Amino acid sequence: MPKRSPAEQLDLAISAMLARPRQRSMPRTSPSIAKIVTLARSLRDLPRPEFRSALKADLQRRTSMKEAAAPSPAPKKPVQFRRPDFPNIAPYFLVSGAPKFIEFLVFAFEGTERIRVPRPDGAIMHAEVAIGNSVIELGDANEDYPQRSMTTHLYVPDADATYARALKAGATPIHAPTDDHPSGDRWGEAKDPFGNTWYIATRKSWTPGPEGVLTVQPYLHLRDAHNMIPFIEAAFGAQATGVHKSPDGLVRHATIGIAGATFEIDEAQGEVQPTQSYLHVYVPDTDAVYAQALRAGATAVTPPYTAPYGDRAAAVSDPFGNTWFLATYLGAGRP
Amino acid sequence: MAVRRPAQKPSPKGLDEHLLVRAAQSDPAKFDALYELYFHRVYYFLSARVRDRATAEDLTSEVFHKALANLPNYEWRGAPFAAWLFRIASNALADQYKRSSREHSLPDDPPETSTHQDLSSRDLEAIDHQVQLFGLVNKLPAAQRRVIYERFVDQRTIREIADRLKKSEGAIKQLQFRALQTLRAQMEGGHA
Repeated sequence: MPKRSPAEQLDLAISAMLARPRQRSMPRTSPSIAKIVTLARSLRDLPRPEFRSALKADLQRRTSMKEAAAPSPAPKKPVQFRRPDFPNIAPYFLVSGAPKFIEFLVFAFEGTERIRVPRPDGAIMHAEVAIGNSVIELGDANEDYPQRSMTTHLYVPDADATYARALKAGATPIHAPTDDHPSGDRWGEAKDPFGNTWYIATRKSWTPGPEGVLTVQPYLHLRDAHNMIPFIEAAFGAQATGVHKSPDGLVRHATIGIAGATFEIDEAQGEVQPTQSYLHVYVPDTDAVYAQALRAGATAVTPPYTAPYGDRAAAVSDPFGNTWFLATYLGAGRP
Repeated sequence: MAVRRPAQKPSPKGLDEHLLVRAAQSDPAKFDALYELYFHRVYYFLSARVRDRATAEDLTSEVFHKALANLPNYEWRGAPFAAWLFRIASNALADQYKRSSREHSLPDDPPETSTHQDLSSRDLEAIDHQVQLFGLVNKLPAAQRRVIYERFVDQRTIREIADRLKKSEGAIKQLQFRALQTLRAQMEGGHA
C-alpha cells in the first residue's frame, strides 16, 4: 500500500474528528499530525463571518432606531421617561366589578392599593395596585374597553403561600406549585374569579440578568407568535431575547423588552388559546413611538395627548388585537 | 481554582477599554468598537458551553443586544468590561438551559456557568488562546482561509470544497495542510 502524504494523513484524522466530534481520541497518526488535529478541533468553534456581520448590522440598526426615537432636542440631563414607581409593563385589567378585583389583588398577592379614581356612579375609572416591585392597573370595563381575560406571570418569594392565598381569595386552582415545571422554577397556576390566569412562580435555578427580575410580567399567548417579534421590534424598538422555537418554527417562549421593561410571549396551542391584553408601557417619546408603531402596522386607538396626570399618552392596537397604552412621564405632579 | 480579581489600578489597556465604553455610553453608534473587541471572546465562551452552532449564535446575539440596552447602567470600577459581558452570557446560558429543560424534561439545575470573576485562570487563558487562533485564521491567505471556513465552519467534505473552488481534491488537502501548519507554527510562536 503506498504511503500517504502528510496532507492525506492529516485529512483522514480531520475527517474522523469531524465525524465524531465528541470523541477525544483520534486515529493513530504521527505526533506532528496529532498536534495539528488538536488545533483543528478548536476551529469547529470558529464563528460564521456572515453571522458576525449580520449581528453587527442588527446592532447598528438598533442604535440608529434608538437615536431616532430619542427625545429631541437632546437634553443635557437624562430624561426620566418612566414614572419612578412604574418599572414594569403593566397589565391593565378592565373587569366588571373593579372594587372586588382590587380586594382580590390585595389579599391574594399582598398588593397595595395606591391610587383609586372613582366615577360618579361608584365604578372605578382607574386604579393601581403595587405588587412586589411592580404595578398592576385596572378599571371597570365599559363599551369602549370591554373585559378581557389576560395572563400574568408573577415572581414571588414563596409560590406556595401566594398560591394558597389566591385560592382563599376565590381563585380556581389550575395546578398547585410544583418543582417539576420544566422552567426550573417552582410554578403553579390559578384562575381568578374574573377569568384571568396567573402563573405564580418562585425563581429557583437561574440568576437574573443585569436588569433584575420584575414581579409582574404580562404573558401573551398568540397565534403565530413568531410574527409578533418583527412587529414589536419595528413598532416599539423592542428587543426579543431568549427566543426559543420548536423545530417547526413555533415560538415556545420569548421575552421581549421595551425600553427596559419586559413581557413574555408564546404560541397559543391546545388548551392555551390566544389572549388579547391591555398593556401600559412607558417609552422615551410617545409621539415618536406612536408614529413608528403605525408605520409598522399598528392601528390607531388614541392619538398622542397630554394627560392631566402628567403623562404624554396615546394608544394603539397591534395586529394580534392587544391594546397598548403608550406613555412618557413629563415630570408633572400626579393626581 | 477560582480566581477572584479585585478592582485593580487600570492598565493602559484597561484605560483604552474604559474610553471605548464611555464613548459608547454617550454615543451608542460607537458600540461597534466594543463589539469588534469582544465578539470572539463572547462567542467562544458560549460556543464552548452549548451543543450546537445555532444556539451559540442565538445566545451571542442575546448577549450583545442586552449589553447594548444596558450599557447606560454599566459602571466602570476597574474590572474588565469582559467581566460584565461574561456575566450577561452566564445568565443567558442559564436561561437557555431553563428553556431547553422545559422542552426535554432535563433536571432542574442548570450546568455550571461561572461568571468572569469565577472563571479560572485556565478558562481565561483558553478564551484568549482561542481568540488568538480566530484572529490568525483571518490573516491566512485567501484560498487557505476559505478552505478552513468551508471545512470547519460549514463542515463540507474535501470533495464538496474541491467542486466549489474548482480545484482537485489533492489541492484542497494541500491548502488545508498548509493553513493548519501555519496556524500551529504561529500559535507556538514560530514561523510557518
